Parts: sequence; C-alpha cells; structure tokens
Amino acid sequence: MARLALVLLARRLALAVPILFAVSALVFVVLRLLPADPIAMSLPPGASEADMAQLRRDFGLDRSLPEQYAIWVGRMLAGEFGTSIHFRRGVAELVAHALPATLELIALGLLFGILAGVGGGLLLFALRGTPGEHALDVGTSLLLAIPEFLWAILLVLLFGVLLQAMPFMGRLDPALTLPPAVTGFLLLDALIAGDPAAFASALRHLLLPAAALAIGLAPLVMRVLRASLQEAIHEDYIAMARLRGLPEHRVLLVHALKNAALPTISLIGVQAGFMFGGTVLVEVIFAYPGLGNLMVDAVRNQDLPVIQAVALIYCVLVLCLNALVDVLYMLVNPRLRPA
Amino acid sequence: MATALPRRELLAGTAGLLALGVPQRVLAQAAARGQLTIAFPADVPTWDPNARTLAAVQSLYKCVFDQPLDQNPDTSPRPGVVTAWRWRDDGLSLELDLRDDVLFHDGSRLTAEDIRYTFFERPRQPVPPGGRRLDTSFLWRRLSDIEVPSPTRAVMRFSEPMPSAVAWLYFLASFVVPKAYVERVGTDAFAREPVGSGPYRLREYQQGARIVLEAHERYWGGRPAIPRVTFELVRDPTVRVAAIEGRRVELSVDTPIRETLRLASVQGLAARVDPTADIIILQITNRGGFADARVRLAAHHAIDKAAISRALYGGNAVPISVPAARGTPGYPADFEFPFSVERASALLREAGFGPQNPVNITFSTTNGFFPNDFDLSRAIVQMWRRVGINAELETIEATTYQERLRAQTLHEATIFQWGNAAGDPEMYGGYLLDPNSIFSAFKAPDLAEPVRALLAETNEERRLAGYRALHRTAVERGYSIPLLQGVRTVAHQQALAYEKYDTGHILPHRYSFRG
Repeated sequence: MARLALVLLARRLALAVPILFAVSALVFVVLRLLPADPIAMSLPPGASEADMAQLRRDFGLDRSLPEQYAIWVGRMLAGEFGTSIHFRRGVAELVAHALPATLELIALGLLFGILAGVGGGLLLFALRGTPGEHALDVGTSLLLAIPEFLWAILLVLLFGVLLQAMPFMGRLDPALTLPPAVTGFLLLDALIAGDPAAFASALRHLLLPAAALAIGLAPLVMRVLRASLQEAIHEDYIAMARLRGLPEHRVLLVHALKNAALPTISLIGVQAGFMFGGTVLVEVIFAYPGLGNLMVDAVRNQDLPVIQAVALIYCVLVLCLNALVDVLYMLVNPRLRPA
Repeated sequence: MATALPRRELLAGTAGLLALGVPQRVLAQAAARGQLTIAFPADVPTWDPNARTLAAVQSLYKCVFDQPLDQNPDTSPRPGVVTAWRWRDDGLSLELDLRDDVLFHDGSRLTAEDIRYTFFERPRQPVPPGGRRLDTSFLWRRLSDIEVPSPTRAVMRFSEPMPSAVAWLYFLASFVVPKAYVERVGTDAFAREPVGSGPYRLREYQQGARIVLEAHERYWGGRPAIPRVTFELVRDPTVRVAAIEGRRVELSVDTPIRETLRLASVQGLAARVDPTADIIILQITNRGGFADARVRLAAHHAIDKAAISRALYGGNAVPISVPAARGTPGYPADFEFPFSVERASALLREAGFGPQNPVNITFSTTNGFFPNDFDLSRAIVQMWRRVGINAELETIEATTYQERLRAQTLHEATIFQWGNAAGDPEMYGGYLLDPNSIFSAFKAPDLAEPVRALLAETNEERRLAGYRALHRTAVERGYSIPLLQGVRTVAHQQALAYEKYDTGHILPHRYSFRG
C-alpha cells in the first residue's frame, strides 16, 4: 500500500512540473509589466542616475526579459533564489524563516477545519429533520457569508480586545524567550527545547489565526459531509449492515462515513488550496511572521526576487497538497487505483 | 508500583498549563514593570545599519547603534558620541571630538578608528558578486579620508564641500559599527548578530515578528530605565489599535488618526498626534493643466490647509508655506502663502479658466502610504473644484510614484510625504527643488544654479539663508505646493512616561514607567 502511495504521489508531482514552469513564466512576466521600479524604491538620498543604472546592473534588471527569465529559472533549478532587493539577504534564507510558520498555521487551521467540519457534519446528519438542523444551517451560512479576514478581525476584537483572553499578535508572548530554532516550527522547537511555557504560548498564539482559517473550511465540510451521508444512508450496504444487527452509530461511523468521506476529501483538497491564499490576510491581521507577511512586505517594496520565489512556493505547496489529496482519494477509493 | 513524576517536569508542566490558561493580561501585568512592549509597523530589512536608508526603521537602529551626533526633541543636533565638532577654515575638513567612555555591547571601546571604518573604509570595500553597496557609500562619497590623530579625535576630509555633513552625522544610515567585530565575524554574521554601542543590545530577532532588546548596562548615556523592550512588528494599523486597547502592549505606534483621537479618551490610555519634521507636499510638474504658472499658484491658493488639518489630523498637522517644517533652519519665518479663494479664482480667470470652464488635471494619490493621504487628496479635489480646477483623482502605489518620478512621467500633481528627521534644509529643498536631483518632480532650470551653489556653500549662515530664500522662491513661482507637516501618532498606557521627538523617532531608552 505504501509503495502504491509513493508511486501515485510521484506521478502526480511529475505532472506538476509543467504547471510550475507555466506559473513561473506568468509571475515573471506580470511582475515585469507592472509600472513600478524596485530600484527607485530603494535609492538613498544623494543617489544619481548613474547609481541607479549601476544598481539595475547589479540586480540584472538591465538585461532583456527572456534573458532575465532564463537566468532566474536556471538559478532556481540550482536551488538559488537570488538576493532580496529590499532585505539585502538571500531569498532562500528569508523563505526558510517564514515557511515553517505558515505551514504550522495551515496545519492547525486544517486540523481545526476538518475536526469542526466532520464533527459538525455528523451532528447535522444526526439532527436531520429537526429544528436543530435548521439552526445549524443558519449558523454555517453565517460563517460562510463573512470572509476570513473579517472573521480574523472579529476574533481579534472579541477575544483580544473585549475579553482580553487570547493573544493575537506574533507567535510568542513578549515575556518569553524564543526557543532555539531547530526546525523552524515553533511548537516543535519548544518541545525539543523542553520549554512547555513557550509551547503553550506558541499554541495560544496559533489558536485565533488558525480558527480564522478554519472558519472558511469547516462549514463547507459540514454541508458536503451531511449531503454525502444522506445519500450513503440509503445504499444497500447500509441496509445490509442494519440487517446484520449492527448498532446505528457503528453503521454511521464505520460504513456510511467511509463512503461519504470521498467527496469530503476532494472538497478539503480544494479548500486547503484556498487556505494557502487566505493565510496572506490572516497573517497580516495577526502579525504572524509567515510567507503571507513576507509576500506583503515584498509587494510593498517591489522586491521582485522575493515575490517570484514566494509565489512559486505557494504554487508548489498547493500542487503538493493536491497531489497528496489525490493519492489519499485513490487509497480510500480502490476503484480509482490504476491497474 | 507507581512512578513519581519528577519535580522539574511537574513544575514545567504546570508553567505550561498556566501559560495556556491564564488570561494574557495577568502575564502582561506581571511583566509590565520590567519590560516595555511596543506595537511597531515596520521591520528592519537587515541589522546592518549602514546598508539601507529607510526612514521608517531608524528608531529600531537607534536602539542598538549610536550615531556620532544626537538630536534634541526639536531636531537640532546635540553632542552624543561626538562631543564637539567644527569645520576648519578650508571648508573641507570636519573635526570631531569623541567621548572616551563609549563601549560596544561586546565590551570593546568605540574609538576614532571605528568612525573611520564606518564612514570611510567600509563604504569603499569591494562588493561581493550579487551583493549591493552600502547606502553609506552613496551618502559619504565626498569623503576623501578620515584622519585619526588620536582615539578620541577624527578629522573628516572631503574632496568637495559637503556642508550637510554634520546633519548626516545624525541622519539616515550613519550609525557607528565596531571595526574589530565586523572584520572578525564578517558582514553576514554581523547582520545576524549585530553589535552596537546603543542603549540596547539585540537579544532576539524574529524576522517580521518581533525584536527583543536588553538594556546595555554600560551605555555611556546611563543604563536605560526600562531594561527590556520588545517591538512586536504589527503591519496592520487596526491591530495596533487593538493591541493597545487590549492592553497587549504599552505603546502602539502609527495608529490611525481617528482611532488615536478616540483612544485618547479611553481610561488608562493616552494618545497623541504630534507634528514631525516630515512634510506632506504635492509633487507637481509643469505638464498638461499645470503648464501655466498661474494655474499652479491658483491651485496652491485654493487649498485651505488649516481646515484640512482640523478635519483630518485633529488640528495637529502644521500647515506649511514652503517645503520645509516650521522651526527648522530652512523655514522662512516671515513668509506665509495665504489660502485665498479670491486670489485662486482671479489667477484662474487670468489664465482663462473658472468653475464653468475648468482646467483639467490628473491628481495621483496613495492610499495608506501615510495617515489620511487619500482623504487629504479628496479634500483637495473638492477645494479645487470650487475655483475651477477639475482634478481626476487616481490612486497609485508608492512604487508607481517612484517609477514615474524616475521616468519623469508624473502627472500634474502627486501627493507625497517626504521624510527629513534631520531637519536640515538640504534634505528639503536641496533634493526636492534641485532639477538635477532624482527626487525632484518639477525640473525648474532657474533653480539649478542657486541649488548648486547652496550644495557647496560652506558658510552656515549664508547656506541657511540661501535655503530659506530658495524655498520661498520656489513657492512664489509655483514650483512647489507644500501642504502640511507630517504627523506621528502614538497611543500608550498612562503608566508609560513617553517623550515626543519632532524627528518622529520612538526612543524607548528615553522612556520610563511612572510610579
């Protein structure tokens, strides 16, 4: 089974390569078409036209577009992301700092979204035909009607300002010292350092932004799962299970849920892709130092090497996630496995 | 047999649970007296303070590094690491006397050799492939040498006059770095673990998230009253407001104006909108509808700056008549450019325009680049409309402004905030009005010679008088439409004794907690 999963994953990832090239070309061209000059943004007082020309040469911006693109792709293939115009540091270093934070946030957001979605879906199904189902439906509609960033602000105002119960800035309490960066994942690093206070603080700091991300996912999962369960519950194998005398909760959780999970997995795969995009605003609102914030800084400063690299990394992450979901889908559904 | 839980693990676990469960305010209160947490809008691009001239992060560099000279709250220079400075008669040599008790964070002594290294040797070092020159290499290019007669004496020698050199000793990127340390560890390692001689040492830096500083115990200016300062880097202004209102921080910087005025009435908080030495101007051109000087002058007369300040800045943004902050040496105290709808209408009539026959222009504005920029631009559009200037308002990014400025494709008017924490007139008119400068929008050929002369004027009195005249001339001829001084907004807990600087700098070593 594991070998099959790896083969499927490798195939999916191989298919992603041309997509990556297309995205890289698109990002590159679009950025060059914008009427903005990254060098002009970073000039010190007293700089002359000659200085500007020199800087443009330093960053290779004086070459033709195809030439610039070829150099950039060549370097990316060699693992070099270039140097940030704004930060004056290697882009790889900047990304290496920011990526684990974003992955940590997305992982927790997905976890919350899936747990709340599956739990809510089961509850919706259990309450079908009752006023409780209608009430929950209204609730999910409300959750879906308000965009993630607004939920983020509402969470800040409610739990941060009004109740003053939860932190909503950064990754760690100001009074605590950051544990040594081993993995970049703060939760893991805190555990490795044996620092439970830092772990707890990091977790607390993740709760609100992860909840803001999860709010976009959970209601959809609830509704799709409920619909799938309603369909599955009328299948013959469910009737057979009941005839065998299995208790209702076992029929639901073991037989119906397994089959109803397929569309839910697809949905989670698609929505998780959107969740990556959602991190940009959520990270800004929660002052969370991930890829989203890095991207915003880069866009503000027209830092082309950073924008290009982060855009590509987002693309890679989404493609990897899609590949994983596809593989999971095939593993769960034997009919889709290749012969 | 039951296994006893080790005492250390039990304590650690309890601490963890407490941190998870205890309301944040309890933790904040516990920490309040020993540390200051600041919600700050920008992060350093690099911890090498000589690398970039970003005005927004000078406060952060000032915490860790010293500049040769310090500034009074009104922007005027005062002794710092350099205790005395004087130009020699040749106008090309600047003598600096240094304190002998300045220590870097690593315990080494700051001497004139560090001054030489920072301002002369370092900017001239070869740039590695793919790297970029330090911004100090642009700023101090007129330096031909720095002599070091003794550890407490340095003589800056210039290849051509640089009358603003003293101002540059307390302006952008001019921070003293330790020669021995930088040479020993290399530039990259220095940027990762910076060592300065400033009031705080860098304890922890989490890029884009937070900066933790610890007091420099042997700081020459005395140990800071607040031993630990954390800058939480919060880009979103709404969240900076929430941070102070939720008592997560003791000080929030650059809060939106309206919110700042509201926070001033919240119990336990103080909030203020203070004018700074930065200026808000219209970068104008002589293209299209603004080709006629009468139209440009009319556009200036038609703007009621005081009303805008009252409506948008709580009356705290000081109206200016020339492109310089009031009270700075380049501001002509005896000159006022009046708001006058009558004069504006008359000038437009003379030029053949009026409300029924308006002159059409394009007015570019940023939205969020500085406080209330978009609202300010909309107010100006309305004021212009009354007299017969029909401005099509176009929203652009600051990057677009820079690109257009460089390519000289700016439309008739673009709103912009120009930073000048030094307050020196060269950094106002010397850059903004010089037709040869890449920062000027209006390329007035008749200003080229006066500016060139001022950039080389070594007599300080004549230099300042010259800039005052230049600023006035530029406005009278319709080459510049200055509007207001910039503002810095802060909201802080009342327990914090905050000190305001016209530079707009946030200087925690000058703050303390009351009681």
